[in-house]
Amino acid sequence: MATILVAPAPSRSVRDRRWGTLRRAARARLAPFGAAVMLLAVAAAVLAPVVAPYDPLKQNLDNTLARPDRTHLMGTDNVGRDVLSRVIWGTRVSLVAGFGSVVIAVLVGGVLGLVAGYAGGGVDNLVMRLMDAVLSFPPLVLALALGAVLGAGLTGVVIALGVVYTPTFARLMRGQVLAITAREYVDAARALGVPGWRIAWTHVLPNATAPIVVQASLSVAFAILAEASLSFLGLGIQPPGASWGSMINAGRGYLQQAPWIVFGPGAALFVTVVGLNFVGDAIRDALDPRLRV
Amino acid sequence: MGLLILRRLVATIPVLLLVTAGVFALIHLTPGDPIDAMMAESVDDSVKRELRRDLGLDRPLYLQYATWMGRLLQGDLGRSIRNREPVIENVGHRIKPSLQLAGLAMAISLLVATPIGILSAARRNSAVDRVGTTFALFGICMPNFLIALLLIFVFGVTLRWLPISGYVDPLEEPWDGLRSLALPAITLGLALAAVITRTLRSSMLEALSEDYIRTARAKGLSDGAVIRRHALKNALIPVVTVLGLQLGTLIGGAVITEYVFALPGVGRLVVDAVFARDYPLVQGVVLLIAVGFIVSNLAVDLLYGWIDPRIRHR
Amino acid sequence: MAANQPDQTPTDISRRGFLQWALASGAVAPAALLAPRGAGRAWAQETPKKGGTLRVGFYIEAATMDPHLSGSKIDRQVYHNIYEPLVVLDANLGIKPGLAESWQQPDPKTLVFKLRRGVKFHDGTDFNAEAVKFNFNRMKTEPKSVRKGEVASIDTVDVVDASTVKLNLKRPDAALLATLTDRAGMMVSPKTAQERGAELERNAKGAGTGPFVFVEWVKDDHLLIRRNDAYWNKQGGPYLEQIRYRPIPDDTVKLQSLQAGEIHVMDYVQPRDVAGVKADKNVVVLDVPSLADFAYQLNHTRPPFDNKALRQAVALSLDLEQIVKGVWLNVGVPANGPIPPTSWAYDRSIPFIKRDLAKAKAKLAEGGKPGGFAFTMTTNNIPINVQEAEVIQAQLAEAGITVKIKLVDSATLISDGNGKNFEMISYQWSGRPDPDGNTYQFYRTTPGTSLNWSGISNPQIDALLDKSREVASQAERKKLFSQLTRILQDELPMVFIIHPIEPKAFSPRVQGYDPIPDGMMRFKDVWLK
Repeated sequence: MATILVAPAPSRSVRDRRWGTLRRAARARLAPFGAAVMLLAVAAAVLAPVVAPYDPLKQNLDNTLARPDRTHLMGTDNVGRDVLSRVIWGTRVSLVAGFGSVVIAVLVGGVLGLVAGYAGGGVDNLVMRLMDAVLSFPPLVLALALGAVLGAGLTGVVIALGVVYTPTFARLMRGQVLAITAREYVDAARALGVPGWRIAWTHVLPNATAPIVVQASLSVAFAILAEASLSFLGLGIQPPGASWGSMINAGRGYLQQAPWIVFGPGAALFVTVVGLNFVGDAIRDALDPRLRV
Repeated sequence: MGLLILRRLVATIPVLLLVTAGVFALIHLTPGDPIDAMMAESVDDSVKRELRRDLGLDRPLYLQYATWMGRLLQGDLGRSIRNREPVIENVGHRIKPSLQLAGLAMAISLLVATPIGILSAARRNSAVDRVGTTFALFGICMPNFLIALLLIFVFGVTLRWLPISGYVDPLEEPWDGLRSLALPAITLGLALAAVITRTLRSSMLEALSEDYIRTARAKGLSDGAVIRRHALKNALIPVVTVLGLQLGTLIGGAVITEYVFALPGVGRLVVDAVFARDYPLVQGVVLLIAVGFIVSNLAVDLLYGWIDPRIRHR
Repeated sequence: MAANQPDQTPTDISRRGFLQWALASGAVAPAALLAPRGAGRAWAQETPKKGGTLRVGFYIEAATMDPHLSGSKIDRQVYHNIYEPLVVLDANLGIKPGLAESWQQPDPKTLVFKLRRGVKFHDGTDFNAEAVKFNFNRMKTEPKSVRKGEVASIDTVDVVDASTVKLNLKRPDAALLATLTDRAGMMVSPKTAQERGAELERNAKGAGTGPFVFVEWVKDDHLLIRRNDAYWNKQGGPYLEQIRYRPIPDDTVKLQSLQAGEIHVMDYVQPRDVAGVKADKNVVVLDVPSLADFAYQLNHTRPPFDNKALRQAVALSLDLEQIVKGVWLNVGVPANGPIPPTSWAYDRSIPFIKRDLAKAKAKLAEGGKPGGFAFTMTTNNIPINVQEAEVIQAQLAEAGITVKIKLVDSATLISDGNGKNFEMISYQWSGRPDPDGNTYQFYRTTPGTSLNWSGISNPQIDALLDKSREVASQAERKKLFSQLTRILQDELPMVFIIHPIEPKAFSPRVQGYDPIPDGMMRFKDVWLK
């Protein structure tokens, strides 16, 4: 989905600005909540073996679809596994799916955008038309077909979503490159004989980082959701592992009889996505000079 | 103006070429075979061979691509392998429900997003803003199949207010038709509202910080008048962009919504075609969706010029 | 759970006057499958009412309206209401007259049908011996005919007189009559078929003889058929004015549509929903035993399952009772082989393979893998298959066997199977009325691509299968199939899991539905209260 981003003007020194940014981000009231959620999610993912009350794979066919109670805080699923433990372990898979695909998109899209913007001409045209082509595919269909080619499983999902998000970052990066290289100090640097890669490294990248971070935080949220959609369409995580999305998908048939097996992963997903959005919004508000009041 | 459109149209040709190559390669690389998928319960090898030969599936891929492109240039998208109908007819039957759904979803999203977006911007960082922005996130914080199932459970099963599945054409039976599209349109509309609220809020904020707004305020105009007369029009430009970009996505991308509510739309068509490895159908529909996407982008750009004459001269 | 225990199934006619067949609400006792079939076929004492539109929900769209070109199960659901086969199945899988009044077999290689007179196709042309000849020739010679294999044993067709037709067979074929109860026996109007050509696939107007006529088909939306007022059989229905089929892909939504009264009938209730639906007084559930066998094919052509001991180790590590109870919620019975309990050939004296971990370990040692081994199982990415795969994975882990689950969509599953690109692969066969249809094509040595994905080639099995086609006596054939089942349990081209029940759900308004284990819904005598 397209989000309009305004490129910040690199006025003061980068270091100065970064501090100001952080302070402003912290000032927005929703940001701390978002940050806390992210910390919690990362902690859950890292500490899963320690904090999960049960083995997430341990089945008990005599105790399936058990209601939440003191022994199973989120109940049990359709083969009697502890939902809470699976939600905690699922954090790993969902975060890997979300962050992994966006990291791919940022790296590939970023490099393509940098090259296109910097080289211009035919290269620019080729790269950007390619990105347009990817962008004009219906995204779910593209991910579905890519996933089918790559084979189901986390790797397939991550790569497929990475490809889908690549054009966004390529466009963003290219826009930044064009905006920044047009500035006088870059001209000056070039006149002084500073090599291109060096200009890119010292001037373009630092300035492009902020908008990319904003877009990335929002894209991670979308990717976590998209992974759930792909589960729905049959392209998901290899069992017995689980992501929040695949748990919700496996549980959707039980929505009337045992809603808790969806509520656990659903709540985790909801809170995380909200948190990511808050963080993204806060950074953006903080970055946009015109919104500084 | 005409020249501009022409230039833009010419520029889309390489993009479309890339799309054809991409979709062709992708669907043919996918493991599985349309004939096997269709004849799951049949053993007869000779029949399958005959069918493959008949469809030209036994020939090298580059020849198949060339044949497809050749027909494409004559305006022929080929026929579906599974239901043997021309691709264009397959799409033709399903484009109407898809467009109606997209239109209704947009209407709902604007209805929800406009007041929230404006209020959040006008009362920035107030409680209204925080509640508004949080509410706007609801539509994109849950997988939409879950939202769809919850809506069905509440409004279809429990309250019995709205039908659960199926499609009635609103052009033939307006009331039943709108009812049949209500839940799917809300499902899509909520997600879209989230995006629009956020876009509108930030573009409003931007517009409100412009000099001419300050001037207007300095002249003593009330907040309401400032927003209505000056800020809103400029703030709408990015909203139009988003809507335009989303139109393409809504038509081809409402896969899950159409699937859950059993609507005969384009999204479900293309996903079913992927599952059936119905090569010509996947290729044709993806290409048409891509064309739709590009055209709606172009329309957005032209609309810009209309909303904001300054852009026309760039 | 003793599958052989006789169990008198209550026939619950009570609830809203609907016929409950075989299994009643509440706990589904698998033994009930073995209860005398047709028991309790007593209608509520009400006079059928004419008229009304029956709305039917299916999981997927039909593919074609031409029965001779059809390769998917769902098409048959519609066909059985607009087309008619020469012979039909009864609830006990017996063969009864259809478009053919009677038949004789003067010798094993000749089959003579006496046809019903006065039957007309929907286009007004007569159904007669010439039409039958045309149809068989079409099935045999039309390049795209999917029926070729099914009618392969028919050599030539002779028109004896207008209402008598003689099939000359290449070889004795004991399964032929049962095959002719479905698409291979369905008669299409020669006039319509010739005039319409390929269009017949999307428009079956005038093509059939059945109780309903084709009206229109809007893809992904609905398919409409209407009562045939000129239907030849004046006994009973058709009562319904119209039947409107709708594809509703999501199971939950389909069920909710039924509960809300948007549809009257749904083709299949997921096991997870059965108990809940049975408690809903707005829905009537009918447990229709099926002809299906759900199993996993083991690839005999490559390691690890080219090793018989390892195949047996897997079979002995599986706990079928736990799978049937935990995953299928008893909506089915553990399978002892490919032949379902609904069939006359089912041998209830052969137990399914019981779990025995000690024996499994011994077999592992015998197979040279005392410490266990690892393999990949390929299965369809649909919720119940995933659930079953996870349970199997856990069960085999207890025997030291590591399973990696590969989830694929059905198109990939089929090509992996055809290409023998798997180690263990899910195979869910919808079943055929004659046991031949559940066995021959899976276990007979066949060159090239076939449904024999396991690649088993065993002279003893081949001989048994060939003989079962030649022998005419049912008792004799039953013995052959029992022998086959025992060999299959030892050789294990497949590990058999379950013979599922296919529960169907109805609105209480639907009356007069008579279930046949082939799962096809014939609506001739159905009416709406």
